[in-house]
Amino acid sequence: MKSDVLNQLQKTAIFKNVSDDILAEVAIKASTRKLAKDEVLIRKGEKGDSLFLIHDGWVKIVTVDSKGDELIINKCGPGETIGEMALLDGETRSATVIALTESEVLELKQDVFEEILKQRSDVPLAIIRSYSERLRFSTTYIEKAIDWSQKTAEGDYSFVEQIQPLVEGAGSNDDKAAQLLSAFFAMVRRVKEREDGLKQQLEKLTFEIDQARRKQEFDEITSTEFYANLKEQARALRQKRAQG
Amino acid sequence: MNKGKIVSIHSFRGGTGKSNTTANLAAQVAMAGKRVGVVDTDIQSPGIHVLFGLDETKMGKTMNDFLHGKATIREIGFSIGEHSSGGEGRAKLAGKNLWLFPSSIRGREISQILKEGIDFNLLNEGLQKTITEFDLDYLFIDTHPGLNEETLLSIATSDILIIILRPDNQDLQGTSVTVDIARSLDVPNLLLMVNKALPKYDFVELKREIEDKFNAPVTGILPLSFDLADNASNDLFSLRFPDHDWSKALRGVAKAVLAVE
Ligand SMILES: Nc1ncnc2c1ncn2[C@@H]1O[C@H](COP(=O)(O)OP(=O)(O)OP(=O)(O)O)[C@@H](O)[C@H]1O
Ligand SMILES: [Mg+2]
Repeated sequence: MKSDVLNQLQKTAIFKNVSDDILAEVAIKASTRKLAKDEVLIRKGEKGDSLFLIHDGWVKIVTVDSKGDELIINKCGPGETIGEMALLDGETRSATVIALTESEVLELKQDVFEEILKQRSDVPLAIIRSYSERLRFSTTYIEKAIDWSQKTAEGDYSFVEQIQPLVEGAGSNDDKAAQLLSAFFAMVRRVKEREDGLKQQLEKLTFEIDQARRKQEFDEITSTEFYANLKEQARALRQKRAQG
Repeated sequence: MNKGKIVSIHSFRGGTGKSNTTANLAAQVAMAGKRVGVVDTDIQSPGIHVLFGLDETKMGKTMNDFLHGKATIREIGFSIGEHSSGGEGRAKLAGKNLWLFPSSIRGREISQILKEGIDFNLLNEGLQKTITEFDLDYLFIDTHPGLNEETLLSIATSDILIIILRPDNQDLQGTSVTVDIARSLDVPNLLLMVNKALPKYDFVELKREIEDKFNAPVTGILPLSFDLADNASNDLFSLRFPDHDWSKALRGVAKAVLAVE
């Protein structure tokens, strides 16, 4: 079982750059907790002081909407990690986590984690590196989102075709910036589709002028004496006006 | 000195919106601070004066009286700025320099006038005198549809001719002849305006196609609008509903008129 845990820790974002021997130690120091169905693991507003790895079973992450009804934000299952940020910032929990089924989770306490940090000076650095990678990733995506917003505002949707693979590649990533970007992308695609739809509804009007008839009618009007006089007078008038 | 410009509004077919356009254009140009005159060519059936909220019984002498030497131009000019009444939009014209010059050169009277030898030069003198006496920047003439002799006179005397057309084959055919006539009579500024365009058409495309066919600028495409049809004679639409698409497009035409050197 501990090797599963090691595997899971390796996949957790903040441990990405932490060496395996340390992770093995972390795995040993983590404690196992069994949850009954509907048991509350984390309560919103409590101080967060541990990280949980789900080993077996499913949990739901819930919050309460404005009407007081439970709102499920997400469901997590085997191999997924919950509350990792609490290890570093110790902030209060932002949502409640309840077991959907009988479950088994591993808990890594903040104080245990801090012990390891103190003993091994390379661990904080590795964690900082993981975070800065993530930050850079997020910043790049935010910059993209800004760029795309401006383009969308100008009606330039050319990026929709070009960027697609990049976003879909990021689809598996649980990073929120990547999720924002794919949601943004989906939105723009919908907007574009709707706009194209509207454009297609505009009809094009085509007309033909019968040039022979045009000439014939013109000749009829201009062949009278009245017209010849008028044309002469109009020319004189315009000359007079031009001279002011 | 020929200071003011004569602007004729014409269309091949009747009911294209000449009177509405003329009244609203004149109002917009007056709002821009210009001194404006409007020759109302139709005082029998609902014409321009109705759009300005005027009762024909209040209007005494006409351009015809002037042309026959029976009235001075001063007596004919009816100040809208002083008599603007009824309607939120029209009220905005209070104090503006806008005059209406009633005339009824149509039907029986036109033949009478032609018989009496009132010709192009006389009409033109009358218009020039109107401009000078009232120190006008613009004198708008709402003409009659088609290309009868009276209309040809108006076209021949224009500094600016605005041809209104409806976007359909029949009207474009007729308009093509008017465009040729205007060029033959050396009208210096020929502007096109589309009215009653169904909103389902692509206006950008429409503008391009018409400009292409006639080699003249389309200064505005005004949509067919039930709002306008419902409101038209109760008030000056573009003053009453300045944010309406019809009004916005009309102001574009007014801008094109003001831009002519
Ligand atoms: N864009 C528009 N949408 C809907 N109705 C319009 C529009 N423009 C004008 N109309 C309506 O069409 C009718 C004719 O307009 P108007 O009297 O201005 O045309 P006209 O060219 O002067 O007509 P005539 O040739 O009889 O003098 C009026 O009832 C007017 O309200
Ligand atoms: Mg009319």
